[in-house]
Amino acid sequence: MIEHSVDVAVIGGGPAGLAAAVSARENGAKDALILDRNSWLGGILPQCIHDGFGVEETGISMTGPEYANMYTNAVKKQAIDVWNETMVLEFNKKLEITAVNKKGLHKIKTKSIILAMGCREKTRWNVLIPGDRPSGIFTAGVAQAFINLYNILPGKNVVILGSGDVGLIMARRLKLEGANVLGVVEILPYASGLPRNVVQCLDDYDIPMFLNHTITCIKGRGRLESVTIAQVGKNMNILPETKQEIKCDTLLLSLGLIPENELSKGAGIELDNITGGPVVDQDYMTSISGVFACGNCLQVYDTVDALAVGAKHAGKYAVTWKSKNDGLKVKSGKDVRYVVPQKITKKGTTRFTLRVEKSMQNVTFYVKSGGDEIFKKKLRWVNPANMVEINVDISDKMINSKKDLEVSIDG
Amino acid sequence: MVEKEITCIVCPIGCKIFVRMDGTNIKKIDGYKCKRGIGYARSEVLDPRRVLTSSVLVSNGEWPLVSVKTSKPIPKNKIFDVLKIIRNTKVKAPVKIGQVIIKNVAETKIDIIATKSVK
Amino acid sequence: MKNFHVAIIGGGIIGSTIAWELSRYKLNTIVFEKGSDVASGTSKANSGVVHSGINSRPTSLKAKFCVEGNQLFQQLSDQLGFSVKFTGKYVIARNNEEIKELKKLKQVGEQNGVPNLEIKTEINEPNVPCEAALWVPTAGIVSPYQMTIAFAENAAINNVEFLLETEVVGIKKQNETFLIKTNKGEFKSNIIVNAAGLNCRNIVSMLEKPDFNIYPCRGEYLILDKNYNNLVSSMIYPIPPREVDVLGVHITPTIEGNILLGPSAEFIEDPEDKKTTKEMMNQLLIEAKKIIPSIPDKGVISAYSGTRCKLASPEEGRWADYRIEESKQTPGLINLLGIESPGLTAAPAIAKYVTELVSKHFDLKEKTGFKVKKQGKRFNELSKEEQSKLIKKDSRWGRIVCRCEHITEKEVIDALSNPLGAKTLSSVKYRCRAGMGRCQGGFCTQHIVRIMEEKFNVDVKDINLKSPESYLFVGRTREVKND
Repeated sequence: MIEHSVDVAVIGGGPAGLAAAVSARENGAKDALILDRNSWLGGILPQCIHDGFGVEETGISMTGPEYANMYTNAVKKQAIDVWNETMVLEFNKKLEITAVNKKGLHKIKTKSIILAMGCREKTRWNVLIPGDRPSGIFTAGVAQAFINLYNILPGKNVVILGSGDVGLIMARRLKLEGANVLGVVEILPYASGLPRNVVQCLDDYDIPMFLNHTITCIKGRGRLESVTIAQVGKNMNILPETKQEIKCDTLLLSLGLIPENELSKGAGIELDNITGGPVVDQDYMTSISGVFACGNCLQVYDTVDALAVGAKHAGKYAVTWKSKNDGLKVKSGKDVRYVVPQKITKKGTTRFTLRVEKSMQNVTFYVKSGGDEIFKKKLRWVNPANMVEINVDISDKMINSKKDLEVSIDG
Repeated sequence: MVEKEITCIVCPIGCKIFVRMDGTNIKKIDGYKCKRGIGYARSEVLDPRRVLTSSVLVSNGEWPLVSVKTSKPIPKNKIFDVLKIIRNTKVKAPVKIGQVIIKNVAETKIDIIATKSVK
Repeated sequence: MKNFHVAIIGGGIIGSTIAWELSRYKLNTIVFEKGSDVASGTSKANSGVVHSGINSRPTSLKAKFCVEGNQLFQQLSDQLGFSVKFTGKYVIARNNEEIKELKKLKQVGEQNGVPNLEIKTEINEPNVPCEAALWVPTAGIVSPYQMTIAFAENAAINNVEFLLETEVVGIKKQNETFLIKTNKGEFKSNIIVNAAGLNCRNIVSMLEKPDFNIYPCRGEYLILDKNYNNLVSSMIYPIPPREVDVLGVHITPTIEGNILLGPSAEFIEDPEDKKTTKEMMNQLLIEAKKIIPSIPDKGVISAYSGTRCKLASPEEGRWADYRIEESKQTPGLINLLGIESPGLTAAPAIAKYVTELVSKHFDLKEKTGFKVKKQGKRFNELSKEEQSKLIKKDSRWGRIVCRCEHITEKEVIDALSNPLGAKTLSSVKYRCRAGMGRCQGGFCTQHIVRIMEEKFNVDVKDINLKSPESYLFVGRTREVKND
């Protein structure tokens, strides 16, 4: 194996990895290396040719490639090393990474590792859609890559399952490329993507949305021929009398994202079952000293702007960390599905990101330290599809009390 | 008097803005959380515009397509005309991010510019 | 029109093992396969089990060929390189009634010549609660498509002609020769081996009135994520249930490290109906959890179904023996009818028997220079040293194209360079495994498509998933204009 050493190694060159690597160098890392499995930098950004990126971060609405370009310029400026078409096979507690590329097998010794592997898309089998197994079924991201990067059109008569942002964006993309977009099928009573995308992608083009619906059957011997949709009742049970068959040749699945943590599992990092990502403290350090996690492999973000804040923070602390400390647990209480970070090891203003269990109006978030209220915030409208951010001051007293924190809604 | 309900698309929040108008006279706008919402609502009811993003064929490049956008929002009703022109355009590599691919597309006085570089 | 000694109809495990046996001899042999690759039908969609013979009726052909075939697997695996693992099987009993059944099963096995059967009260499976179990050490697992491909490709490099996407549409007998009409032209052959699986009756009816019916019986399966492969090390089967609506789900570790739940058994009208149903998928999970309570609810990464070619209907008791014989009415037509479980296990033994039947028509002279294409180890199975050496030799071993299973660009290219000429996404999948991981092609599909376009000059419109009708793309986002 070819041996190397670098101060900070970043696994994944998507938006999180880029932001973290740049931040690490800005905060004094002697050197930094980004390892990415693709031939390009930016991860998913180059195929996201639509705009809406960076509005909070920069005030300008950029397209995915433009946002990526902003960071790849910074990567060059900071003289960060980049290895493309490189797959990390494993890393261990000693902060040694094993990676492979066309030059051979590499062993990289580091002072800290930043995990930024991103996520993968849910497949048909994660939700067990019954029926035939024809061609013509794509996850939305894969279809997007084919249309935008490789100049390949996946189909003509399209149904989209899932009204998350990726599904909505792809509805518009396909329409603009001459496809017949028959509708977006969504099991919830509301679209799970941003309202701006419902307007720009569906309303603008009269693409129907079938709310409270799901796909009950897929038909097609060779290529997809039709999908059957049906309404669901209050308990997500199928109402058989509402079944209707929609003839189509393409089905795009926008069912949600799963953080990629095979490498984390392999190294023995503690994972949070709900987020799907590592358990981290306020500096984004995982259960292994010197290993940090950020971006979609930590939790699935809604906007790249929110993701970049965390990634920059992780990059900074990947350089300045001294030791790993015990800390307080942060629990998710009533109506809160999860909170990141899950651990607090020092005082300061901590940015928590969280998601709620269900759609609610006029809620109050409470943060309690051992039962005592330390923070309160009111929000008019929350739902699981929109991440909530709260900034909470943590004092030395709270740390020393060793009492766990809890984030909950309405007491 | 007509009241139109608009979902603002300027930022991810998506405020619901209500515009009361008499013909083309705007009488009242409310529901916005920031100034940008006012501007958007006004234009949406009088002259709805959108930023169009798409792809242009590249010859001799490391990628077959370059992603492009309109340099400013274009009138909604011109979208498909602009797309037709984009579809019939070919550009030679190398392409630089920000490069003007089509000037004054479909007489909108707005350009189509590259959003990435292609070697 | 080319003249053949033997024409095999069907490129499944049966057709491919027969083709390989015959390829040793100086015979002109051809295989017609209507799918885009070998193992397009039931041969790829089963449990991949090398059966011991305990489940077969004594004195039946099923029992005979199963036990004979079982004994050949290790040697064939060593020779051709497909993997086999004798994991053993536990048939578990959860009460005294079931323990009585275990004893009966052991007796049947011993009658069939199955060695080393033992009833144990404690089993080496901490996640499987039971009172007692029958331990069957000669039961094993294999990858059924890897095995079929190994036989077919070895037959091909020894001059058996394989015509893919070729369907036999009519046969006439002219004196001592068969005139075979296909969608790719006409061919002459002295012998026809009918290994057409679910289509075996259609083939027979082209020449005579069939004296049998086939009853397609579909089995659905669920595949669990590799993260759960520590749940079991051996196969776990419950006692075959008495109740009609209970499936008796098997839990089978696969050779690649996943776990299979299934199969179900549902008689269907259309043998091409391969859908998986909500009812069965749910029932498979529910029943599997009864056997292994720690099976997770959300661990499924894929599902599939395969259809058995049964010769007996439910009313007739669902069981009939294999019919492997030369037709009395049509000499020269060798039929293989009703080859359902333990078909995969029996295949090598059946192939030897069919060779004997063929030898009654020709003097079989062995070829010299019999070639072997042995499947090598995957990149991810090699030591770091071996991996480094390979990358130095050919850098394409260093670019990983399938993130879930760590499959390299070189392996994808080798898969696409197969001697059968199969070039679908599935033919890549079944040879090198790219696309079979938890992301189900989310990462690798775009890279495999690029390799097909750039290195194999396949037009995007011609890229298919598995069959000629299963096109992936309709064209280009932007067309190349002629300047």
